[in-house]
Amino acid sequence: MADKKYWKGLEEINHASTPKKTADEFPDELPVISELGKADALASNRRDFLKMMGFSVTAATLAASCEMPVRKSIPYLVKPDEITPGVANYYASTYAEGGDYCSVLVKTREGRPIKIEGNKLSKISKGGSSAAVQASVLSLYDNYRLQGPHIEGEEVSWRNADEAIKGELESIAARGGKIRILSSTILSPSTKQVIKDFIAKYPTTKHVVYDAVSCSGLLSANEVTLGKRVIPNYRFDVADVIVSVGADFLGTWISPVEFAAQYSSRRKVTKTNKRMNRHVQIESYFSLSGTNADKRIMVKPSEENAALLHLYNAVASKTGGQSVTAGQLDDQHKAEITKTADELVAARGKSIVVCGINDVNAQLITNAINQLLGNYGTTIDLVNYSKQRKGDDAAMNELVSELSTVDALIVLDANPVYNYPDVDNKLKQGLEKVKLTVSMNLKKDETSEFCKYLCPTPHYLEAWNDAMPKNGFYSITQPTISPLFRTRSAAESLLKWSGTDVSYYDYIRDFWKQNIFPKQSRFSSFDVLWDRAVHDGVLDIEVSGELTVGNIDAGSAGAALAKKSGGEGMDLVVYEKVATRDGKFSDNPWLQELPDPVSKVAWDNYACVSKKTAEKLGLKTALNKINESVGTETDLLTVSANGYEITIPALVQPGTPDDTLAIAVGYGRDIAGKTGFIGQNVYPFLKYQSSGISNIVSGVTATHVAGKTFKIAQTQMHHSIHDGLNERRIVKETTLAEYNENPFAGNEDRAFVQKHLKSLYPPYENLKNGHHWEMAIDLNTCIGCSACVVACTAENNVPVVGKDEVRRSREMHWLRIDRYFAGDETNPSVIYQPMLCQHCDNAPCENVCPVSATNHSSEGLNQMAYNRCFGTRYCANNCPYKVRRFNWFDYLGADSFFKGTIFDNDKDPHEMADDLTRMVLNPDVTVRSRGVMEKCSFCAQRIQEGKLKAKKEARPLKETDIVPACQDACPTNAITFGDINNEKTEVFKIANDERGFKVLEEIHTLPSITYLTKVRNKDKSEA
Amino acid sequence: MDKYIVGLFNDDEKLMKAVEAFRKAGVAIHDVLTPYPVHGLDAAMGLKDSRLHTVGFLAGASGCLFALGFIIWTNAVSYPTNFGGKPLISIPSYIPVTFEVTVLSAAVTMVVAFFVRSGFSVFKQPRIFDERTTDDHFAMIFETNDKNENDLSKIRELLKHNGAVEVNEKSFE
Amino acid sequence: MSAYESPIREPLVTGGKTYHQITRDIVRSTEGMPPLSWFAVTGLAATVLMLGSLAILYTLWMGIGTWGLNRTVGWAWDITNFVWWIGIGHAGTLISAILLIFRQRWRTGINRSAEAMTIFAVMCAGLFPGIHMGRPWDAFFIFPYPNTRGPLWPNFNSPLLWDVFAISTYFTVSLLFWYSGLLPDFATIRDQAKSKFRKLTYNALSFGWTGSAKHWQRFESLSLVLAGLATPLVLSVHTIVSFDFATSVIPGWHTTIFPPYFVAGAIFSGFAMVLTLMIITRKVLKLEDYITIGHIESMNKVIILTGSIVGIAYITELFMAWYSGYMYEQYAFYNRALGPYWWAYWIMMFCNVVSPQVFWIKKLRRSVAFTFFMSIIINIGMWFERFVIIVTSLHRDFLPSSWTYFTPTIVDIGIFAATLGLFFTLFLLFARTFPVVAMAEVKAILKTSGDTQKQRHTEHVDDGHHGGGEVAGVLRNKA
Repeated sequence: MADKKYWKGLEEINHASTPKKTADEFPDELPVISELGKADALASNRRDFLKMMGFSVTAATLAASCEMPVRKSIPYLVKPDEITPGVANYYASTYAEGGDYCSVLVKTREGRPIKIEGNKLSKISKGGSSAAVQASVLSLYDNYRLQGPHIEGEEVSWRNADEAIKGELESIAARGGKIRILSSTILSPSTKQVIKDFIAKYPTTKHVVYDAVSCSGLLSANEVTLGKRVIPNYRFDVADVIVSVGADFLGTWISPVEFAAQYSSRRKVTKTNKRMNRHVQIESYFSLSGTNADKRIMVKPSEENAALLHLYNAVASKTGGQSVTAGQLDDQHKAEITKTADELVAARGKSIVVCGINDVNAQLITNAINQLLGNYGTTIDLVNYSKQRKGDDAAMNELVSELSTVDALIVLDANPVYNYPDVDNKLKQGLEKVKLTVSMNLKKDETSEFCKYLCPTPHYLEAWNDAMPKNGFYSITQPTISPLFRTRSAAESLLKWSGTDVSYYDYIRDFWKQNIFPKQSRFSSFDVLWDRAVHDGVLDIEVSGELTVGNIDAGSAGAALAKKSGGEGMDLVVYEKVATRDGKFSDNPWLQELPDPVSKVAWDNYACVSKKTAEKLGLKTALNKINESVGTETDLLTVSANGYEITIPALVQPGTPDDTLAIAVGYGRDIAGKTGFIGQNVYPFLKYQSSGISNIVSGVTATHVAGKTFKIAQTQMHHSIHDGLNERRIVKETTLAEYNENPFAGNEDRAFVQKHLKSLYPPYENLKNGHHWEMAIDLNTCIGCSACVVACTAENNVPVVGKDEVRRSREMHWLRIDRYFAGDETNPSVIYQPMLCQHCDNAPCENVCPVSATNHSSEGLNQMAYNRCFGTRYCANNCPYKVRRFNWFDYLGADSFFKGTIFDNDKDPHEMADDLTRMVLNPDVTVRSRGVMEKCSFCAQRIQEGKLKAKKEARPLKETDIVPACQDACPTNAITFGDINNEKTEVFKIANDERGFKVLEEIHTLPSITYLTKVRNKDKSEA
Repeated sequence: MDKYIVGLFNDDEKLMKAVEAFRKAGVAIHDVLTPYPVHGLDAAMGLKDSRLHTVGFLAGASGCLFALGFIIWTNAVSYPTNFGGKPLISIPSYIPVTFEVTVLSAAVTMVVAFFVRSGFSVFKQPRIFDERTTDDHFAMIFETNDKNENDLSKIRELLKHNGAVEVNEKSFE
Repeated sequence: MSAYESPIREPLVTGGKTYHQITRDIVRSTEGMPPLSWFAVTGLAATVLMLGSLAILYTLWMGIGTWGLNRTVGWAWDITNFVWWIGIGHAGTLISAILLIFRQRWRTGINRSAEAMTIFAVMCAGLFPGIHMGRPWDAFFIFPYPNTRGPLWPNFNSPLLWDVFAISTYFTVSLLFWYSGLLPDFATIRDQAKSKFRKLTYNALSFGWTGSAKHWQRFESLSLVLAGLATPLVLSVHTIVSFDFATSVIPGWHTTIFPPYFVAGAIFSGFAMVLTLMIITRKVLKLEDYITIGHIESMNKVIILTGSIVGIAYITELFMAWYSGYMYEQYAFYNRALGPYWWAYWIMMFCNVVSPQVFWIKKLRRSVAFTFFMSIIINIGMWFERFVIIVTSLHRDFLPSSWTYFTPTIVDIGIFAATLGLFFTLFLLFARTFPVVAMAEVKAILKTSGDTQKQRHTEHVDDGHHGGGEVAGVLRNKA
């Protein structure tokens, strides 16, 4: 190019006067000229050299630097307009699993669901949720899910599966063979309709509904009393006196989220509202409801019937009902029950009696009591009756006995092989005989092992569905992510097989158009109704037609029941854990890691025994464990009954009657996916009796396994609030009587403490202006259900550490529920205290961090800079509340090498770090690496989100803008969060309530969390 | 070619006497080597007092001021942070580090000064006048290049008279 | 020069040593082939060090989850060992600095190896803050260096940061103090050396020391000022270590008497360790004439004193717990004595409070064998003191809900073994290559505190014409 001549115009070429470009444009001495001149002469010049060097150095650097895994991130070709990267979308949906109902909002980020929140629009769950609901999002990303249809273990296409199944069904139907659909409770009216259609197509079909933990006794009783096989609509929110006989209505019974909300709405005592409901629990193991009861009457499992009958008689004698023959019961219990009856009678029409005994007669008696008390129509609504349990033990029993003659069995979301008490192996043998067996389930399970065809169903977050938990209450399940695997909803499969080729979505829409739209008058057009229903997730319509209560023959029921009461020897009561429930989700690591609210044991089931019984059985280690509180070592017990035997760790659990074993179901799954095999299966202990499967077994033998011990993963050892010297003022409680006299009752010492708080330094002024985030927790409405703990886990990417690490007291929960016993050792009263970072304004942890990794924000947050922390653990040592959690290992595979080799240095026992499962991580929260301290951040990411939202809308922050995960999950609204510097906020009011106190206020850490004294509805005599 | 006369003593008190004698006679002593510190020798030889402790003091003082200033600057100016509700300048908790830095700077500076002023180094090849001077003998060294014969004999004489056990000649290239 | 010393004081150098004999006695141990026994012992120590290092490597690879710690007990053996070693590291500087200022002549026999021990102990101690971190590779965060994060500085309110400064300062100053003292003795070894190689090495080590009067003058002023600095330093170090606990809020840690109590404890354990080592060294290297029974007795006296201070501290703690009327404090100490860790508490009580009191008996004070036994007992006791303070306070603090129990893992034990291995390996190497007794200093006190010389003082013999050595010879001939 150097010789090429450029000219501006003819003048330039012709007139020599015009300066020569090269000559004058640049003076000669400038190197650039010479460069240009030499350019062609030299092969390379300084610039080239620099380029070369630059490149080679960079290349060398890249080559030398350690190899990074290639992560493809593909931008949207056409961005869906509802998705903005970094901004969460919320979709209303419905959690309906085996009759458990909860209306939810699904939080999605970049198109993947990462968090489940309660739906405030629902009149049933009222924005609350449960641990299981919170954890359900994790099952979506379960790498053990079935990824497509299978025929005899061979993965096939849906077309092949359909053809094969349809073919078989038709041939069976043709020769009139028996077809059975076995399902757990189905809440979806559309699905029920689908099944009806299916039956229409194949008339030899029968639909058997079976629940692992069933209410069939209750249903049959209501069939008699109310003429309809339903559950009435219990209204704990209007009841002044609540008596529960063995029904854990706050933890596991029928609709705990709903009941908890109703129940606690009557326990929020304030200066203005000084009344609260009175809760008496008559039970034989320490249930969540029992721990919250104002009065707990502890009877042996086999005495529950007798107790119920005595209650009936006591009520009857005052309300002119016929008395019945009652079983044996000692006088103390009699007295207590009589007293309870008096309270019931006093609160006639404003009381409620529920019973968890799965026996038709027991339920009839219960109905009789409620009838005598005139509770029907007031506290027991008969219009919006509930359909949340439909299981029919008798039908199931019949199915099992005829199974060998059945030709086709379609198992829909049920797992009888695991959870049906199949004592004489009738079920398993029968299953082998059935020609056509289809399993429609999320994953492989014990039952699917016996099935020829596996037709995997999508997770509820992947598919359309609807639900009608109660008469008049409808809700919609809408997909929030396209199916991860080749799955198809059960209803759609049934439609296909019954020959109607229509998508389930259209079917639901059509069903709603036909059946629901006409029943209401609010919406003129169906599309509007539908859009609203999808948007809100719920649709309530006025229904009429109250069920009528027929007269109840208490006499014969009582007589039948009395025969069953009382049992010699040792009793076994089988119960559901609040977290893992009937075992369907016991393979969910979040739920397993969650310590049981009462026993504080995670990752296992165990035999709860009383101290006396432990002594009788010679469980020295177990007793030593509670006396010395050293380690987690406990004894093993061999339990046998009904020809079944297991060896299971024993746990001395206060609140367990003598000569009684209480063991949780839901463990000992053979096919358990992520969690692996844990615990022992206790379903086989149960037996089908005349009217149902009772959860109580008498005549159990338990023997101590000598010379063997077991390490149990207990996060809180057996310490009472009284340390042996003093009564620690960590939790405060009082009785309603005292509270009414003095609102400071139980909290009198606070004034003294506050008066004596002195500091070397002046208070930090700038915390008084701007925001100052504080939380208030009402110990009176916290029932310990632990939904908040799982919510926190999901929101903040809290790692799952597994059984071994929990045994070493290394669980990572940022928020834990402390459980303290008080009073009588055999039947103590319990108080729950959610314990999380107190965000102290004089935080001891901040002073001691050598590298400033934890310090105080101007908004009063005690903040952690994870990537600055190098893990001296001094902060954790110096935290009086012990809420800081340390990453002892690399739990989430954040920075481990040589995965799968012997050099693998991460600690991920439950595959929480595999690529699919990691999709559940919240992108707004750092995944902490090994050797880093972590703790509750008051959901800093949500605070930021809320502030930005308000800023964008150019308005002051509203209280509703910022809701931490724990508060959002709480079904009882025990948690309040807000800005203490704003005197209009709820949290400000609560913080200045007479009941308000701070934990360890005397050490002057200035915590930001105010707790409200627990008020028990006891009279002077009990207190 | 440096020539020296080395007078060896086997007792520190004789050495002291000799040193005084030579001071009287006005003979310049090149150096005195002893196996252990002989108290008062430096005074007898008329050496000036060491100024090491002054160095130490100055270094310590500046270290102290620097430390305190630096800490306050980091936490109150450069990156103001609220730790546990303590004020940005909370002197009590700054004392320990300040103290340590003071001591450190004083000590290190002094030792460095000591080595530098004495010309010590790993590579130093000192002139060994007599190997016994680090064992059990005390040596007085006289430079002889600029001295005539009777000066030298006078020195030898004086040494002998003051109880030197040996008088040797030593010369270095 | 020959300052008069009361004849009642027993001589500090026995065996009628002359300057030359002193030189030979000390230099000999650095010459020639070490005995087989030395190789055996050193080999053992080195092996322990190697095996222990595996535990350290494993920790670094997997994380400190390999230790027995849990969410409630965040420190246990790591910091226990750290404080224990630091405590041991206090004797050396104390002996050379404080005793120098107090003109305690008996320090000359032992200060050299005591200081060496200090250096090695502090090395062992220094290991723990390093490896006890979750992310050791980020250890440099601790230093206030300009960085791109703000710049973000360390937190000068944190006792851990104070530790870093205290320990590093203490290590540096001790090292300088020790080494400057070594210069003349290295020169002596150089001049005693026959082989060219030895001459060169030791000349290098002595930095070309000749013993010139001017150098001695500077040397004296240096060591005096360093002693002046080291004295408050040695007190400050363990004071600051005690701040790790004293400034916290944890009952059982939050105690104002910790500084004096820790310093006393440190001296206590330090002297015990010095005795352990000295008693072996004097035997193996035949230095009975320099490290005499008198030396041992003087150290035992210090042990009674510090031991009693520690004992009073324990009792004061108990009293204050009760007197404070603060329930958590009360429980902390109730739990120490009667809780699950009662055994640790009573081991500590016995070893540190009861056992040293037997030294009131002169016979036991002067018995080498018994002193050796006691020195071990005391070191065990002092290890448990730190364990009790750290673990029993942590494992049951304010909220009963988070109470736990700590049990060490094999890795915990391995790492402690590693430091023991390191310590003894270093000391054994030191004993064979360095002058274990400060020759120059001993020579300086020979006239006043040598046995024969003292005798002559009493006999009023005019020592005008003879050096101490000669006279000693003469007297021996007389006898």
